[in-house]
Amino acid sequence: MIVPFEHLLVLASLLFFLGLMAVLVRRNLIMILIGVEIMLNAAGLVLVGASALWQQVDGQVLVIFLMALTSAEVSISLAMVVYLNHRKQTVDVRAFNELRG
Amino acid sequence: MNPVALTDFPFLSLVLWLPLAGTLLCLLLRHSPGACRWLSLLTTLAVLLLCVWLFIELPHAAGWLLQEDQPWIPSFGIRYSLSLDGISLLLVTLTALLQVGAVLISWKQRQHPALFYALVLVMETGIIGVFLATDLILFYLFWELMLIPMLFLIGIWGHGNRVYAALKFFFFTLAGSLFMLLALISLYLIHGEQTGVYSFALEALKNTSLTPTTEMLLYLGFMLAFVVKVPLFPFHTWLPDAHTEAPAAGSVDLAGLLLKTGIYGMIRFAFPFFPHAAQQSLPFLAILALIGIFYAAWIAYVQTDIKRVIAYSSVSHMGFVILGLSAWNQLAWEGSLLLMIGHGVTTGALFIMIAMLQDRTGSRDLRVLGGMWKSLPFFSAFFLLFSLASLGLPGLANFAGEILVLLGSFTRFPLLAAFAVAGVVFSAAYMLRLVQGVLWGPLGQLCKIGDKDCLHADLDRREWLLLIPLALLVVWLGLYPAPVLAPLSGPISLLLKGGGLP
Amino acid sequence: MDSRLLFLLILLPLTGGVFNACFGCRLPRALVALLAIGAIVGSFGVTLLCWPLAAEGTQVTLFTWLASAGLKADIGLFFDPLAATMTLMVTGVASLIHIYAAGYMEHEEDQARFFALLNLFVCAMLCIILADNLLLLFLGWEGVGVCSYGLIGFWYAKSENALAGRKAFIVTRIGDLFFTIALLWLFSLLGTVNIAEINQRATELDPVLLTPLVLLLLGGACGKSAQFPLMTWLPDAMAGPTPVSALIHAATMVTAGVYLLCRLFPLVSLSATGMAVIAAVGALTALYAASCAVAQREIKRVLAYSTMSQIGYMFLAVGVGSVAAAIDHLLVHAFFKALLFMGAGALIHLAGGENDIYKMGGLKQKSPLLFWLFLIGILCLAGAPLSGGFFSMAAIVFAAFTRGDGFLACLWGIGVFTAGLTSFYSFRLLYLVFFGSYRGKKTAHRLSPLLIWTLPPLALFGLFGGLFNLPHFYGGHELLGAWLGSTPAKELPLVTELGLLVLMSLFFVAGWLPAHLLYRNFEVEAESSWRRFLLQGWRFDALYEWLVLRPYRFTARFCFIAGDKGLIDGVVEGLGRTLLHWGGYMRQLATGQLSFYLQGFAWGLLLMVGWLLLKAVV
Repeated sequence: MIVPFEHLLVLASLLFFLGLMAVLVRRNLIMILIGVEIMLNAAGLVLVGASALWQQVDGQVLVIFLMALTSAEVSISLAMVVYLNHRKQTVDVRAFNELRG
Repeated sequence: MNPVALTDFPFLSLVLWLPLAGTLLCLLLRHSPGACRWLSLLTTLAVLLLCVWLFIELPHAAGWLLQEDQPWIPSFGIRYSLSLDGISLLLVTLTALLQVGAVLISWKQRQHPALFYALVLVMETGIIGVFLATDLILFYLFWELMLIPMLFLIGIWGHGNRVYAALKFFFFTLAGSLFMLLALISLYLIHGEQTGVYSFALEALKNTSLTPTTEMLLYLGFMLAFVVKVPLFPFHTWLPDAHTEAPAAGSVDLAGLLLKTGIYGMIRFAFPFFPHAAQQSLPFLAILALIGIFYAAWIAYVQTDIKRVIAYSSVSHMGFVILGLSAWNQLAWEGSLLLMIGHGVTTGALFIMIAMLQDRTGSRDLRVLGGMWKSLPFFSAFFLLFSLASLGLPGLANFAGEILVLLGSFTRFPLLAAFAVAGVVFSAAYMLRLVQGVLWGPLGQLCKIGDKDCLHADLDRREWLLLIPLALLVVWLGLYPAPVLAPLSGPISLLLKGGGLP
Repeated sequence: MDSRLLFLLILLPLTGGVFNACFGCRLPRALVALLAIGAIVGSFGVTLLCWPLAAEGTQVTLFTWLASAGLKADIGLFFDPLAATMTLMVTGVASLIHIYAAGYMEHEEDQARFFALLNLFVCAMLCIILADNLLLLFLGWEGVGVCSYGLIGFWYAKSENALAGRKAFIVTRIGDLFFTIALLWLFSLLGTVNIAEINQRATELDPVLLTPLVLLLLGGACGKSAQFPLMTWLPDAMAGPTPVSALIHAATMVTAGVYLLCRLFPLVSLSATGMAVIAAVGALTALYAASCAVAQREIKRVLAYSTMSQIGYMFLAVGVGSVAAAIDHLLVHAFFKALLFMGAGALIHLAGGENDIYKMGGLKQKSPLLFWLFLIGILCLAGAPLSGGFFSMAAIVFAAFTRGDGFLACLWGIGVFTAGLTSFYSFRLLYLVFFGSYRGKKTAHRLSPLLIWTLPPLALFGLFGGLFNLPHFYGGHELLGAWLGSTPAKELPLVTELGLLVLMSLFFVAGWLPAHLLYRNFEVEAESSWRRFLLQGWRFDALYEWLVLRPYRFTARFCFIAGDKGLIDGVVEGLGRTLLHWGGYMRQLATGQLSFYLQGFAWGLLLMVGWLLLKAVV
């Protein structure tokens, strides 16, 4: 491996926390979705790295799954964003609090 | 008749699942209420006929008369096992009988009739299941299954304060039965650890050896579920509310059957599992029962709603049943079970009659009713008969049980039994007040409002059909209870011995 | 003769009653009455037919009613001299009263209900008399109670009538409470409920237990027989139709208590204390009721109190150990009291439905025959020398005197004094009703001939009933005593006996004279608090209202409001409310904002990672 695994882990955690921050802090639904994508990709990165480290193919298989899943997820969520936008003319998450107890 | 043929055919499953099949058909036919009505009547009648046939054909032996046993969830040792002995036979027959009454009295149900009949039939399966199951998980399943139809019957078709009553009923009984679930799982685990065989079967769990403390704790867990259902003072307050708000069929089932499941649970499970704890608890049970007899009779005396009077009278009668159980001898136990049957029939009949009264006058308030004999002589005659039976008139249903209970318990608790006799006087006081308020006196205030409405129609053909068998049964149970006592004596003597008399 | 014939005694009235109850309303009135009468007369005939069976005592069983571990109660009859005598009296009197009732009720509605209940009553009464075990006896015991309840409240449209019925049922049931306890106790001691066996084995019982047992039985008898302190229901029971009062509340049901004590006499007689209490209760009630009768205004209430008083004499007789005297008085009393009640019914018709004797008067002219018949009844009640009542009452007083120690002598004194009072109120009644001028305003109803012609047989039996048990002193043979197998009364010296006789006659005259002077030409009577006190039965009703009913109602309400609604429901609902309250706090956590939840995730993650790091470092 050309890159030490530790570096990869650091990068992945940085990416993950960036994504998390985006999800937590941003109010825009699109930005939140992007945050989710970043987190997923961080996880994928770790999987690929681990796969390369241990010379096991499982991690890469999982990443392929992940990519398929992500694309499906993004298409559904974007569709829902469009729908929500249509309903309330906004993509601000604060507008959607119907589950408030 | 060949006994082998009887045991080969799964009669118990037939009795148990027939009502459920009726339920499914009912739901399929939901767009034609008439068909639902007839279907549920036919189903209940079929179950009744089957039960009566079994009652006549089966021998009066001490042990199980019929058994079915199949593995169900083998990995946990849960089996589908049903067994029938003399006690359950009688109770199942009573269930089948009262369900026919429940269907007939709701004949004019207009609001969601299909769902209503379906629920009544589900209830029948649940109650029969409780009386037949000998695997604890199966028992628990049916135990909870009874609650759900009743919850909806009260909650949807009930009167005034129905949601409160339904929830109160549900939470009271559910809270009790959760303790039972906890206890039965502990029992299962303890038994499994001791023997290596993990099983929920009644026969297996009976032989678990427990330390006194554990035994008492588990016993209390079981008993809590049962005494709430009975209901024993001070766990009874759900009953008057549930009775008052429930529709007629619900009241009939509640009083006639649901209360009996509690007693049945005690004698089938709680006492045999924990004989020493049971023996220790008997004096307390007797005292609570006595308090219940008095307390409920007193309260019944000041009620103005007829249904509440009967509800409290049920609590009082159940006190007698528990007193009999706590005396722990053959005489008293036979009396208790006989009283259960008698109470089921009389109270069921009284609730049926109250429904008829409410159909006609639109009221259950003693303060506005009165003078019904004038306009409804036949109705009133039946009402008087059942009221007299309920107050324990010799020669009618309840007396035979009551006197056996008293005779039996006098040998063990003379003082308590002597006091309990006073309960009989009190029951005369509230029942006669009820009779006075409904039948005698001038026509009630209800009638002065619009005089034309006062000439109610007396019993129609359906009502005659419903009341005559019940009346005959009340007299039969009072004058010749031998056929009912015969199947009881064997199982009871087994239970008394197996329950670990010192 | 087949001894199972005896069951016809019970089955005939039962069938008649059930048939009338089920189908009576569809039948013509005359047929209903005829059926009812036929059933009872048939029963009477069967009694005569079966009479020979009684001498030896016949036991016969139809089927087993209740049998369970050690208990065996049959539907079984025991026909011995005592039972036979009672049966003959009950069926005989009941036959006459049924015929009378057919005339009395001819214009009433609901005849079927009336006759059904009346028949069922006779059936239940015969159950009491003939039962061979205490449970069956109890069945009859409660059965007569219910029939009496239904018949007192026969005119139910007036609440007072129905309430009187209810009062009668509940008060007698308080007595039954004691009887039931005695029954339970006897069963747990002897293991049987068979009467003959209990009597046989009574000597096995611990003497200490005997007295409470006898007192409990006495309690039961007091309830049914309206003796002190459970006597308040009888005067109110007069709300029922007159034939009912005659049959149930004079001749038969109220004497069931006496019969019970006689039936169990071998047991009862073992407890000296118990016997003394029975005698005392009897004497006190006799005095109490006679004093109340003096001030009553309603004709039937006078008779009700006199019934109570006469039954007190019977209790006294049982208490001093003379069953024969008790039964003799019971029989004679049944005849003349039925006569008086039926006569009273006819008089009420004559006075146009008026109950109040102050508003009657001069009825002698309206129906002389009725006057003579009524006079016979009054003479018997007052104990006029040589009438039936005189002999039977004298026998009781003699018995009290001969067995007497100081205590019994005291009771004897009360008995003799009460005889004077009895004579006074009897003649007061007679004078007020028949003499003077008519004070009422209502016009007479037509009298059905049935109302008159059923009376003479009763008058005959009342008048000559004393001959059944005529003591040797008068040249009699104590036939009844011999038939019942009781020990003959002790022979007294001639002088004592004569002295007692003269004393009784003197008290009779002493009662009659003031009545003659005061009421011969009666106009109005002044109100006085004393009279009101007696009129209201010494205010026992008010006393019980304060002592029993109010506390009962208060406890009931207290239990309901404070116990059920307050405490139990309070705890349950409080539990629910607490949970709801806490749920309210928890609810605020569900903001509906996704980022808020995710923050939770993030902090959790941080915590977990931190924990792992900490573990790695340490």
